[in-house]
Amino acid sequence: MSKNLVELVRRHHAAQAPTALEVLKAAMEHRGEITDEDRRIAAEASGLPEAAVYGVSTFYDDLLQPRGKRHIRVCTGTACFAATGDAHVDELRQALGLEFGQRSDDRAVSLAETVCLGFCHSSPAVRDGDIVDAGPGVLDRVLSGTSRAAPEPEWSSVLDRPVLTRPGDWSGLARAIAELDPEELLQEVKAANLRGRGGAGFPAGTKWEFTRAAQGEQKFIVANGDEGDPGSYIDKYLMERNPALVLEGMALAAYAVGASHGFVLCRSEYPRSKPALEAAALAARAAGWLGEDIGGSGFSFDVTVLEGAGSYVVGEETALLACVEGRRGTVSARPPFPAVRGLYGMPTVVNNTETLGNVPFIAREGAEAYRALSPDGTPGTKLVCFNERFTRPGVYEVRFGTPLRQLCEELAGGMVDGREIKALQIGGPLGGILPGWRLDVPFDFDPLASEGCMVGHGGILAFDDSTNMRSVARHLLRFGAHESCGKCFPCRIGLRRAYEMFSTEQPVERARLEPLLETLELGSLCAHGGGMPAPLRSLLKHFPEELRVS
Amino acid sequence: MLVTIDGHDVEVSPGATVLQAIHALGREVPTLCYDRRQDPFGACRACLVGAEGAPGPIPACTTPCRDGMRIDTQDPTARRVVTAVVELVLSELPDPPGEHTELGALARQLGIRTLRWSGHVHERRRDERHPYLVFQHELCISCGRCVRACDEVQGAFALTATGRGFDANVTAGLDAGFLDSTCVSCGACADTCPTDAITEVTLLNLSDTA
Repeated sequence: MSKNLVELVRRHHAAQAPTALEVLKAAMEHRGEITDEDRRIAAEASGLPEAAVYGVSTFYDDLLQPRGKRHIRVCTGTACFAATGDAHVDELRQALGLEFGQRSDDRAVSLAETVCLGFCHSSPAVRDGDIVDAGPGVLDRVLSGTSRAAPEPEWSSVLDRPVLTRPGDWSGLARAIAELDPEELLQEVKAANLRGRGGAGFPAGTKWEFTRAAQGEQKFIVANGDEGDPGSYIDKYLMERNPALVLEGMALAAYAVGASHGFVLCRSEYPRSKPALEAAALAARAAGWLGEDIGGSGFSFDVTVLEGAGSYVVGEETALLACVEGRRGTVSARPPFPAVRGLYGMPTVVNNTETLGNVPFIAREGAEAYRALSPDGTPGTKLVCFNERFTRPGVYEVRFGTPLRQLCEELAGGMVDGREIKALQIGGPLGGILPGWRLDVPFDFDPLASEGCMVGHGGILAFDDSTNMRSVARHLLRFGAHESCGKCFPCRIGLRRAYEMFSTEQPVERARLEPLLETLELGSLCAHGGGMPAPLRSLLKHFPEELRVS
Repeated sequence: MLVTIDGHDVEVSPGATVLQAIHALGREVPTLCYDRRQDPFGACRACLVGAEGAPGPIPACTTPCRDGMRIDTQDPTARRVVTAVVELVLSELPDPPGEHTELGALARQLGIRTLRWSGHVHERRRDERHPYLVFQHELCISCGRCVRACDEVQGAFALTATGRGFDANVTAGLDAGFLDSTCVSCGACADTCPTDAITEVTLLNLSDTA
């Protein structure tokens, strides 16, 4: 994206203008479709040229699927797939007589696809207007017009003194501004060896150090709440049930690097996240934890909560910043890194919401106490979540290094209906697939990497023994191709070709598949194209007959 | 700082990219989304090269030089991936690219005769209403050069990337063609297009009669 465009949106942002994406989203909410007149209004209001606004309006799922009076979004995420093999999707399509993206002629009903509503503990899930219904009987209720809000997942911690499931109380920020100068807080976070929880595991303290050292008239903190991984509802839990903890983490990051404003980008697939964060921000302002001169320290910081519009790749940090600016959520080559040139061209910390949720504990208790939490693994704790195939699905705070079998069997209670775990996908769609006979691996970065898997964001998704693994490959590649941002050639074309290979019943030629996987892995610009081969490789290794690759 | 390209040393200024170092030696590597008048974009991955110590090939256009870096433009892994990428690009077009185009020349240079992958191709869609410019959307490979020429060089902001994934493309204005956009008919987009997706009418006429 050209510097000219970034400068255009920066100037308009400085003058309190809305972003083009915000205006287009509002038009969609209001009218159920987007017209050229809406695009002209969005261009006028945001400062983005008309052509660029057109580009935005053709990028995000939420802006592309017309809405009727009743807009029904069916979840095609991996947990719902693992629950029904997509039978719920076909049934709903047939009963409504609509395909994805279609609206009835009288504009009464519309059907859209949405990838992961975060009700993976109770699949399948359907969003009817703003009500997310899920679990047994959901289709009957949706079709009879009696949708009801599904129960939110349970959560618990195996620790006596939790880090992430303790309600945020601003005690970390209170201690930091009273006892630590910004450099001391930064060093504490570095000493804690806090690794990013969004998937890549990059040390948060190092990111902060770059931003602190970078020159800029303003610096920003951006909390990445765009939890796109199908099968994961960890950020959803944090943003909706513990939002003060996320905001406190942001304020601490801001204190350490010298930032004055923060943004949370949450997903539009989670209709409760933005209101919960905004309510927590309001309460924090009233209590003096956000705003000017916090606690009489001279430190000022406030946050804005924004909502995405349906794009998985927007979880990548450069795409995330483009989305915050209201532009197309495509990936940009790094360098420059956001720490140096990020939001509106200014030095920016981009951290996952869970990463930020660790910081209040570190600020209050210190790095040593934090490192002691997981004596057998990576410092700190991790939130994991389980899908509906488990007996006790929910969000759990666990220690790194816990054997996966213990997590799956003791914590989550194994499979329902006497089923067996055929395979797990851990950490999202870019994670490798671990067969059910290899669960004795510790849950941590290095041990999982040695199995071709990853911690990722911490979703633990089981396929039971009734699952056909070739259909898993097809499901994942359909998702991968649909969500490719379209910027780099290997991902844009390669994922489409890979999906096409698995979308028929024909055997797949290994001689054509292998070079395609290599091209995706080594050629792609970001982890989306680079990571999609990982589950394919583990499926090829562990389930070669089912995949029918020869 | 000093960088070694295929065994030849070259002195570059701090901030120079690997591609600039390669060019400083008078050498070339394949590119499709690169135009030296524009900021590097990093989309096509045709400029992948080997770098000593790196876990895999690196894109020359967006990678800054480090002192003492050793680059191998003939790295077998990089060459293999680049050939595959160009095959993939050819597979999205309904017809082979014109021989005189950059893409056509690159396919020849890499010796690509058959494609290992095929499938869905771009739908034909042609905008001929503008007096000087013709847009053939099916030939667009989303290299972004026209959009950047319009934004960075001309400042007309008449073009945009559209869609996403395989359906990504480029269009003018609100998708109603060049004529109904802020296009100033400068031709910078046609000048930089590597596939003839955007052409000047005169050139197109010449090729039609040829």
